[in-house]
Amino acid sequence: MTSWFTACGVLFGAMPLWADAPVAEIQSMLAKPKVLCGDFDQNKQLTGLKRPMVSNGRFCVVADKGVLWRTLHPFPNTVRLTRDEIVQLQGDRVAMRLDARQEPAVRMINSVLFALLSGDLNQIGKFFEVDGAIHEKSWRVTLKARDPALVRAISKVALEGSEHVKSITISESSGDRTSIVFSKIQVGEGAMSVEEAALF
Amino acid sequence: MNQRVLLAWVWALVVCLLLAYSAHRWLGGRIAPNTDILALLPIQERDPALQQAFTRLVDSAQQRLIVLLGTDDWAQANHAADAYDRVLEQDPGLLQSANPITDYRDWLTSFQPHRLNLITPQSETDLRSQPTQYWTDIALAKLYSPFVGLQVGAWRDDPFGLFGRWVQARAQETPVRPRDGRLSVSDDHLQYVVMPFTLRVPAFSMKSQRAVIPLLEQASQAAKKTAPLVEVLVAGVILHAAAAGDQARQEMSTIGIGSSIGIVLLIWVTFQRVSPVAMILLSVVVGCLAALSVCSWLFGQLHILTLVFGASLVGVAQDYGIYFLCHRFGVDAQLDSGQLLRRLLPGLVLTLVTTVIGYFGLALTPFPGLRQMAVFSTVGLIFAWLTVVFWFPILVYPSASTSAPFVQWYSNRLARWPVLCVNRSTLLAAVLFIAFSIFGVWQLGINDDIRLLHNPPKNLIDDQIKLSRLLDTPSPVQFYIVRGTTPEMVLQREEMLKQRLDQLIEKRLINGYQAVSNWVPSLRAQTTHRQLVERSLLNEGGPLAALALRIGENGGWVAATRQQLLTSASTLTPDDFLKTAASEPWRHLWLGQVEDGYSSIVSLRGLNKTSLPELQSAAAGLEGVRWVDQVHEISSVLSRYRKYMSWVILLSYIAVYCLLYPRYRSSAWRVLAPTALASVATLALLGIAGHSLQLFHMLALMLILGIGVDYGIFFQESSTQTRQAAWLAVGLSALSTLLSFGLLGLSKTPALQAFGITMSIGIAAVWLIVPCLRYDPIPTK
Repeated sequence: MTSWFTACGVLFGAMPLWADAPVAEIQSMLAKPKVLCGDFDQNKQLTGLKRPMVSNGRFCVVADKGVLWRTLHPFPNTVRLTRDEIVQLQGDRVAMRLDARQEPAVRMINSVLFALLSGDLNQIGKFFEVDGAIHEKSWRVTLKARDPALVRAISKVALEGSEHVKSITISESSGDRTSIVFSKIQVGEGAMSVEEAALF
Repeated sequence: MNQRVLLAWVWALVVCLLLAYSAHRWLGGRIAPNTDILALLPIQERDPALQQAFTRLVDSAQQRLIVLLGTDDWAQANHAADAYDRVLEQDPGLLQSANPITDYRDWLTSFQPHRLNLITPQSETDLRSQPTQYWTDIALAKLYSPFVGLQVGAWRDDPFGLFGRWVQARAQETPVRPRDGRLSVSDDHLQYVVMPFTLRVPAFSMKSQRAVIPLLEQASQAAKKTAPLVEVLVAGVILHAAAAGDQARQEMSTIGIGSSIGIVLLIWVTFQRVSPVAMILLSVVVGCLAALSVCSWLFGQLHILTLVFGASLVGVAQDYGIYFLCHRFGVDAQLDSGQLLRRLLPGLVLTLVTTVIGYFGLALTPFPGLRQMAVFSTVGLIFAWLTVVFWFPILVYPSASTSAPFVQWYSNRLARWPVLCVNRSTLLAAVLFIAFSIFGVWQLGINDDIRLLHNPPKNLIDDQIKLSRLLDTPSPVQFYIVRGTTPEMVLQREEMLKQRLDQLIEKRLINGYQAVSNWVPSLRAQTTHRQLVERSLLNEGGPLAALALRIGENGGWVAATRQQLLTSASTLTPDDFLKTAASEPWRHLWLGQVEDGYSSIVSLRGLNKTSLPELQSAAAGLEGVRWVDQVHEISSVLSRYRKYMSWVILLSYIAVYCLLYPRYRSSAWRVLAPTALASVATLALLGIAGHSLQLFHMLALMLILGIGVDYGIFFQESSTQTRQAAWLAVGLSALSTLLSFGLLGLSKTPALQAFGITMSIGIAAVWLIVPCLRYDPIPTK
């Protein structure tokens, strides 16, 4: 079956041989838990600012539901992304709400982020060209947006991981660079705290 | 005798000139029917500036075409769109893609230099009321947010997210988004590629329709071949025009050919020889040719619906010829044709005048299409009439005819036809008739709906509804026109209107509005915005300074950032905006210089019938702002003219009576009463059949007067000896009129259908009633 796919790839010249194999293999390396939570450390380097912006917090990715992203330090801020909306909370106050009915991009943003955080390369492949390599039990891919407009905004996205995504680096065309490292990853029903479950 | 021959020759010369002129017009291709679907709509009583603004709006709208290709997979939809485009590229002279924005970054760059001036009303309120903490929180949240997708440009260019909010608000004016170099929109099931086009050929010309429609069909086939499940939605005025044109052409030939064949058969069967058929056809052909030529000379272009209606002329124009022939082949064989004509002439003149009065009713309305129909019919009738008067006496020799058996049978019916006189059976008939009329007329509803005039095929409407739901398009028929002496004044007036509309959005009466001032605030507003930002955010010790403390930057950073922000505060003008690619979807809103001022349109999204009164009152008291509701305007014109026409009809009856009185004196009522009774009966029957009364029924009643009176005149002109001939003439005329208008009653244009049905019922009724009121000096036993 695989060889049949490869043959097609060669015939049509659409899929280079070396790119096809890692995607399928990386997919097989990834655990696909229903619930995945963990800590993150974010380092943002912005043009026009001397110091990098360092922050950390907790995140959860729940299949069929969405993403919860809680910055805890130095500035508490929560973003919840579900299929139908993006909500930003500052404390209990809703600082921003973006409805998918008002803003069609909401669904796309959410599916991209969900795909990135859960490492779903098949889904990612719809929006980005994927180029990757595997080294023993870990993998590394770089992504280039398919939409020319997006290319001009985000020059490169790099993902690293093994059975989960371990880090994401986003390089923007403006020179801004964000790198996020994940740690203390837990999976399964118990991964989410009561507080987090309440926020969803 | 000589004089008559001379007149015949003069007429021959006129007809030859007419032939030459028609040939010249036809061969020059200048008689190309127009399919403008708006032609039947009334010219509205507007001031010139408003009318010009309106014309500009309609002109730009009719050249647009929009295509949506949807599948459940975006890539598939894209392939389908590529296939669609490839077909259209075969003929680049027809359609031009109107999709210059494929990258939202390009879109943003045109606004970047004006960032500080562009803020939303909500931001304006916040700037006036929110504390420093609120703004530093926003800036920090943006700063620490990992999500790039929601930001526009570098953080330092818009630390407090004001421009970002504005961009987001602008983006939300439409659900259409650039994606992969195309425009896209999606619903819960499908993802659509949106392809706007501009027509490079006129939408209402049949020639361009014949080129564009098949090309679109071919493109759609190509898309379906690439993606079999693709849903293709197309909307554009040209589709409606083409559909209307096809329908009209078909109806025109049905009515024209149908009534011609019917009349030929009728006359041939009646007179059983070829020459009368030839004579009648001659008069009808001259009439129709003249109508075509004179109309195309007068109006420049003929509307296709004029031709549909004009086709029914065939059934009326032959009345005069029939009248003459029935007498010629009737009892007057001893008279020569010249003497016969002299005897018939007074009646013929009266019939022509009354019929012209009937058609004249159409010309009294403000509908350009109806006026053209009136001129067409009147000219046709006059020429047919003149042909009868000048040529028939010379070309038709006196001879006795052998009547066909059915003519014998028909003629004999007359003797047994009831005659109304003062007796009990007449009284009974009168009581029954009055009861029937009251019962029927009581049930008549009223209908002034615009769909009477324009009734497009269902599939076009379905596509259009789906498309406007997907694209959340504003209402094309209800909007505000804003006027002012300068562009700045127009923008300021728009802003005042928008303040009122914001309240209606809060009440959920509308979803939103589209206006140029959304994109280009007035100079006054731009200055206010800039000063507000400077005062509330960039002030000493204000949010910017507080923010610097939180992120560990010094006073130098604050000054540099402030300086950088202030450089992007140059003024944006409507002219600047209209030159950018980003303005393409909004250009139609700016009508520009009209007469001695400037005009723009503010259009509304998500409005429904219940919000109309409040929308209308929102414009009240605002100078230069005018609420336009075309549906309502047209309906009110229809309603107004429906009432107006009932008076015109009453007055026409009086006028016709005055016209008839000098000749018929105390018998004039006998000529007029059959049409009056027939009209009442027609209304009653329409009521019983569940029809709603509309302007076009009234117009038909007017024409029933014009044509029905002819039958009364035919009868009144006849003596006891010639009564059979008159009876035959009435029968043949009525049959052919019934045929023509009966076929018109099959039209899919509701207005013409109503016209045809009313005419058919009315003429049939006149035919039946006329002999009842004949004056019989010898009482029947």
